Amino acid sequence: MSIRTAQGTGKPPELGLAPNAPEPRLAPKQTVFNAFRRDYQLWVMVLPAIIVIALFNYVPMYGIQLAFRDYDFANGLTGGEWRGLYYFKQFIDSYLFVDIMKNTVTISLATILIGFPAPIILALILNQLRWKRAKKVLQTTVYLPHFISIVVMVGLLNVLLSPNTGIVGYLMASMGFGDINLLADVSTFVPVYVISDIWQHCGWNSIIYLAALSSVDPQLYDSSKIDGASRWQTIKHIDLPALVPTIIILFILTMGNVLGTGFEKIFLMQNTLNLPVSEVIATYVYKIGIISNQISYSSAIGLFNTVINFIFLFATNAISKRVSNTSLW
Amino acid sequence: MKKVLSLALAASLSAAALSGCSGNNANAPEGGASTNAPTNGNSSTGKVVKLTGLITKHPLTQELAKMEWLQQAEERAGVDIQWQEISADWDQKKGALLAGGDVPDLIIGPNAITDADFAQFPGLFQDMSELVASDGPNVQAMFNDKPETKVISSQTDGKIYGLPKYQRFWPATASRQFINQKWLDDLGLAMPTNWDELYDVLLAFKEKDANGDGDANDEIPMDFAPVGTGGFGFFHPTVLLGSEGITLTNGSGQGYFLEDGQVKNFFVDERYKNLVAFLNKCFAAGLISKEVFTQDYTKFQSVARGTGDKAKVGFTWGWEVTDRFGNTLAPQYASMAPLASSANSTAQVSWDYDYDTLNYGVNMVTMSAKTKDKAAAMRFINELYDPKVSMQVLFGSLGTNIKDNGDGSYAVQPPTDAAMDPGTWKWTTTWADNGPMYIADSLKLTLGTDMQSVGKQTEPLMPTIDAIDKENDVLPSMFIKYSAADNSMMSLNNTNLMNLAMAKFSQWVTKGGIDKEWDGYVKNATKTGLPQNLEIMQKYYEDYKAKK
Amino acid sequence: MDAIRAKRRPTNDILFDAVIVILCLFAFLIVAYPLYFVIIASVSDSTLVATGKVTLFPKGFSMFGYKEILNDSRIWTGYGNTILYTFLGTFVNLLFTLPAAYALSRPEFRARRFIMFAFVITMFFNGGLIPTYLLIKGLGMTNTMWVFIFPFCVNVFNLIITRTFFDNSIPKELYEAASMDGCSHFRFFWSVVLPLSKAVISVVGLYYLVAHWNDFFTALVYVRDNKLQPLQIVLRDILLSNQVFSSGAGSGGASGGYAQRYADQIKYGVIIVSTLPILIVYPFIQKYFEKGVLIGSVKG
Repeated sequence: MSIRTAQGTGKPPELGLAPNAPEPRLAPKQTVFNAFRRDYQLWVMVLPAIIVIALFNYVPMYGIQLAFRDYDFANGLTGGEWRGLYYFKQFIDSYLFVDIMKNTVTISLATILIGFPAPIILALILNQLRWKRAKKVLQTTVYLPHFISIVVMVGLLNVLLSPNTGIVGYLMASMGFGDINLLADVSTFVPVYVISDIWQHCGWNSIIYLAALSSVDPQLYDSSKIDGASRWQTIKHIDLPALVPTIIILFILTMGNVLGTGFEKIFLMQNTLNLPVSEVIATYVYKIGIISNQISYSSAIGLFNTVINFIFLFATNAISKRVSNTSLW
Repeated sequence: MKKVLSLALAASLSAAALSGCSGNNANAPEGGASTNAPTNGNSSTGKVVKLTGLITKHPLTQELAKMEWLQQAEERAGVDIQWQEISADWDQKKGALLAGGDVPDLIIGPNAITDADFAQFPGLFQDMSELVASDGPNVQAMFNDKPETKVISSQTDGKIYGLPKYQRFWPATASRQFINQKWLDDLGLAMPTNWDELYDVLLAFKEKDANGDGDANDEIPMDFAPVGTGGFGFFHPTVLLGSEGITLTNGSGQGYFLEDGQVKNFFVDERYKNLVAFLNKCFAAGLISKEVFTQDYTKFQSVARGTGDKAKVGFTWGWEVTDRFGNTLAPQYASMAPLASSANSTAQVSWDYDYDTLNYGVNMVTMSAKTKDKAAAMRFINELYDPKVSMQVLFGSLGTNIKDNGDGSYAVQPPTDAAMDPGTWKWTTTWADNGPMYIADSLKLTLGTDMQSVGKQTEPLMPTIDAIDKENDVLPSMFIKYSAADNSMMSLNNTNLMNLAMAKFSQWVTKGGIDKEWDGYVKNATKTGLPQNLEIMQKYYEDYKAKK
Repeated sequence: MDAIRAKRRPTNDILFDAVIVILCLFAFLIVAYPLYFVIIASVSDSTLVATGKVTLFPKGFSMFGYKEILNDSRIWTGYGNTILYTFLGTFVNLLFTLPAAYALSRPEFRARRFIMFAFVITMFFNGGLIPTYLLIKGLGMTNTMWVFIFPFCVNVFNLIITRTFFDNSIPKELYEAASMDGCSHFRFFWSVVLPLSKAVISVVGLYYLVAHWNDFFTALVYVRDNKLQPLQIVLRDILLSNQVFSSGAGSGGASGGYAQRYADQIKYGVIIVSTLPILIVYPFIQKYFEKGVLIGSVKG
């Protein structure tokens, strides 16, 4: 029963923030062997995961060479002629490079900027809803759109946003924006993409935050009530801090996806009118990789993409480690 | 989008019933199918050879086990094939399958394995040249009667990895041009013969409440199929380039066409500029559907079907009139002759020429190089190319789908289920257009009534199509094989070109500005590698000509 | 009781509640309408749907879409397979992920930083489809049910989520206290950590569950046998044959028009058929983060 003391009486702002405690300093004489003997149980627990990841993720990684080689089936995956950075150069020099990079960054930054905070806010709001049944209904409702397949999602957008026949088009027209075809305009593509994405995944993404909120000790709420804290103050001093570790970790991971726009949705939303802003790395790779059969070239673009993403993740993680002492590794 | 469209096309083609023809089948006398198998050494042992097969079939197509003609063909060839049936996402499956190297003995499907795959995965597929000579008399007969079928199956080094199809009956163009005749009559307008007249007619459609429902704003004077980001296809306004003397071939999706023996690309042609300017004029006047660039294929079709007997669309393109407008509205529409660009234009009017792509197909069947009993596999393939089996591949089993008239002639039956249309029935019951086949010109086959309607709707176009100089103005893209390196360079350049050109096309149509931007655009198009592509294509074209 | 509490509340709290309710209502409407639209579109005439005639109530009511979907005999095999893969798969996922997450959350575990780094790398770099295919083929897993269960059964993202939760919600002192009493990591994990972590286990479990449920790519690439195909592949096939309808396979003839008229029903119907079971699972999971698993309620 004494367990609560660890957190229960802690001051609200610190709750849940519990930074990764620094590793216990081991005296120099403690050998690796001793540490291993001490931790063998932990090794046993982590070993299955290590095996699975080594086998399924690391073993095939020799395939990365394809970005530097020609693909030569007869001589095996690693037997093609070594081309070095040839395919990377080809991409960077390519006619569309600047446009594609610009579009990719715009779309993913917009998604991060608006899409990242949305589920946090939703979770905080849901958590404040007092009426339990309404909360359940709403929670279930907002989580449902996640299960709509992308094909249908884009179909829905087409039907609902149609300027002549869609309900959103109709509402727009009645507000005096009748001339704007949301599906056709270069300037509306990104907003439509981002907002529909939030619509679809915000509820689903808030689940993890709701779970984090559920681990807040109820006594904290009680004591803050006794202290006469307002609801807003409760959010600020109890709820939000409880979410911070999750937020930081998810933000680091999100930053590692800075060039990672989804493929299918953009591809399906593409039309000739929005093409100047909707051609992104993923769709370009698809067009040349699958349609034009350029395995090495598309591997190189993929790798280029990955490296930049990884750099972003690495940098964000380093900053976070310094600022909040939270790190992925 | 393009994929959907080509599916749509393939599907609509099915609706066609073919007009009959007479003449004796010289190649396959009665019982011809069974003459091959028994003479073969392997089957004389009476042992059935086990093979594996993979087919990329249409999603509607029933299980292969239920196809009677197939069971019979396997039996005659002395083989028992274990089939893997794929109806979706073949491209994604294929990559892993080929790289993994475990290819089934037979792969069947329209260009299921492409020439680029043969080049990229050497050694996986069997060169069938010798097998055709030794065990494939029916295939050999096709090669003899239709030498072009051999041309399209031979790689640049002369090897034959995939066998083609010839389905003979399909029309010379995929696109027919429709106008609402009832609206014309009601408004007292004459059938337009050139772009200027068309413009006036469309304007009248818009302003004079053509469908007479009291709402002057619900008419869509002109509509065309959704334009994909990868280039044009069928049912697009590019067919109007024919008005200026450009003969599109197979839709000329990426702009390439032939004129007086010169390979050109219309995306940088002044005549294309004129067309876009005309379309912009129409769009600005509200004559083209506002959603023409954003609607999907379903909507494009639905809109033209109007509501009840009230039509919505005035002028558009499609495969067949009932397919395009539905049964209720179809009678309102008439098929039109090609338009001239203006009253005093001297250009010889042309039209989209698609005979090759509609009647031939490449790499319909391939054989694995690892097949144990290659002779047996070839025997089975040979069965498929027996014209009498071929017609069953296309239309379904004798008895249920095709009637044997007993005098050496045959007739395609109407669907047993009265509620089903012939097109759907064909795709449901058999391989249809996805199968390898040789519908010999000598085969006596009477077809249903639908095909006659397609033929009739093509009639207004026929004088123009007949006048096309097929030697110098039709790009024989179907018959030219590029080397793997040239092929991949060209497709890379085309990807870039399409990204530029398709975006500009829709921008110019909807917002105008082509006059100002044209020169800069042509320069950019040069940067995408277009001149390089034209050079390559010209060279291959001349080689092809020289060999021919 | 509620009334009494309300009286005690300061006015700006009432205002606050009002804002919350309005926001929730707004969110509900925005999300619910399109969902409702999916439902009515699944029983309405597709032509009317495409031309914007269906907004509040179904029009041209027909169950054609559902009939088409449910008439396909493969769908029941698909359901069976998917349920098997999903539950077995999720079980294996958790079996591999949770202990690893625990180990990696222990500060005294010196190798943890290196291991985490090595794991995170795999979220970014991979060898591509072809080498992976060759590997799985080499392991003899292609065209078996095991390809749904074992490959990639540890999702690093989920591992990180779990580890973060363990890190932050399980007090460090707890293990030290327990180990004084001779409690091993195994036992501590089993009888203290797991019961305390129901919220995150249910979330991560849900993530895995849904990933299995929606997965069609694995089957697409690695499975040939029709008897092994999961629901999503079957639905994809049905969806595709319907798209063929909608783009004009049935030209002419009464059924051509009929198919056209109801084609999109299948598109929307498929969503409902494939989502319903997942919908049923959600409330079971939801209850675990309803009020939370209280650290304080555990006897020390």
